[in-house]
Amino acid sequence: MILRRKLQRWNNSLHRDLGYLFFGMTIIYSLSGVILNHFKSGDLKHPDYSKSYWEFEVALPPGGKVDQAYIDNVLVVADEKGNYKSHIYSDSSLRIYLTTGSITIDLHSGSAFQEKKKPLYVIKEFNLLHYNNIKKLYTWYSDIYAVALILLALTGLFILRGKNGILGRGAWLTVLGIIIPALFLLFYT
Amino acid sequence: MVKRHILFAVLLLFFAIACNQITKETAHQIASDTGKITVATFLANAPNWINKIIMIEGTVSHTCKHGGKRMFLVDGNDSVSVEITTGPDIVKFDEALVGSRVKVFGILKEERIDEKYLSEWENEIKKPQANHDVGVHTGAKGHMDQTAQDVLDQIAAYRQDLKSSGKDHLSFFSIEAVKFEELN
Repeated sequence: MILRRKLQRWNNSLHRDLGYLFFGMTIIYSLSGVILNHFKSGDLKHPDYSKSYWEFEVALPPGGKVDQAYIDNVLVVADEKGNYKSHIYSDSSLRIYLTTGSITIDLHSGSAFQEKKKPLYVIKEFNLLHYNNIKKLYTWYSDIYAVALILLALTGLFILRGKNGILGRGAWLTVLGIIIPALFLLFYT
Repeated sequence: MVKRHILFAVLLLFFAIACNQITKETAHQIASDTGKITVATFLANAPNWINKIIMIEGTVSHTCKHGGKRMFLVDGNDSVSVEITTGPDIVKFDEALVGSRVKVFGILKEERIDEKYLSEWENEIKKPQANHDVGVHTGAKGHMDQTAQDVLDQIAAYRQDLKSSGKDHLSFFSIEAVKFEELN
């Protein structure tokens, strides 16, 4: 009985402290996870930037020659004066890079396609951690977090006793939580 | 209290050491024997610089959306595009770099594709969706933005290139960046 109480106390303390310690990481990974989920499913064009697109018409360059004056005119039409970064062109198209996106012009038809982008601050940094771009020491820290999540899950099972514990309602919910992903695997793979 | 301060100091030291591992060895190599290569002459010169440190300058035309581990450099037009990948000391190539002029120092890498490689890649693509991302053939030649049909078309094109090259492999070159600077 004493041992059981002692184990229960250890279990609850471990769950509590890991919960406090990894609160920040859990928020980072869950918010970034939602974004990456929808990026992967195609709902978002970019995980770090919101993007919008539209089309308009521009005059073709005089004599087919692309120069800075022509680019400046396009920027005025697109209301992007002051946002110019650089440009590249071929016989058939011109791409103007802007600090806010890009404009691609078909040099045969004069149709222009503009992409505008805005950084998703904070989410962008969260994604950096989620993707483990940092590597080095963060690889170990995020491994520790993963192990802590397992411990949180395991200790969470034994926090409560009685009808809402793992031998009552908890058992049903735990089994359901295992069956749901298993069903996805079964039907979608 | 003292214990807590010691623990904090140890943690800080640990972070400082881990973050400061930019390789004196590589820095020395960059200074001493860096070759210069241009985007326009990249394909012609690349075979001479395999696994050596080179410097290249160009305009960033694209960065990879999936973690920013790759970017492509062009110069004036997009007829030649040079792939740059992140080395261990570079966190990512941010989308904000697109359109910027950059100077990259890195190690020139060669990837060879032969018929065996193409067959394995083709088999992976034909497997169910769940297997696509775990394969080994999503590297320099493939891109995660492509559809399965795009990739199959690409594989067919490579087969054709391989046949007309008269060799048993195709070479693809990229640069693993050690460091880079934004010039504008």
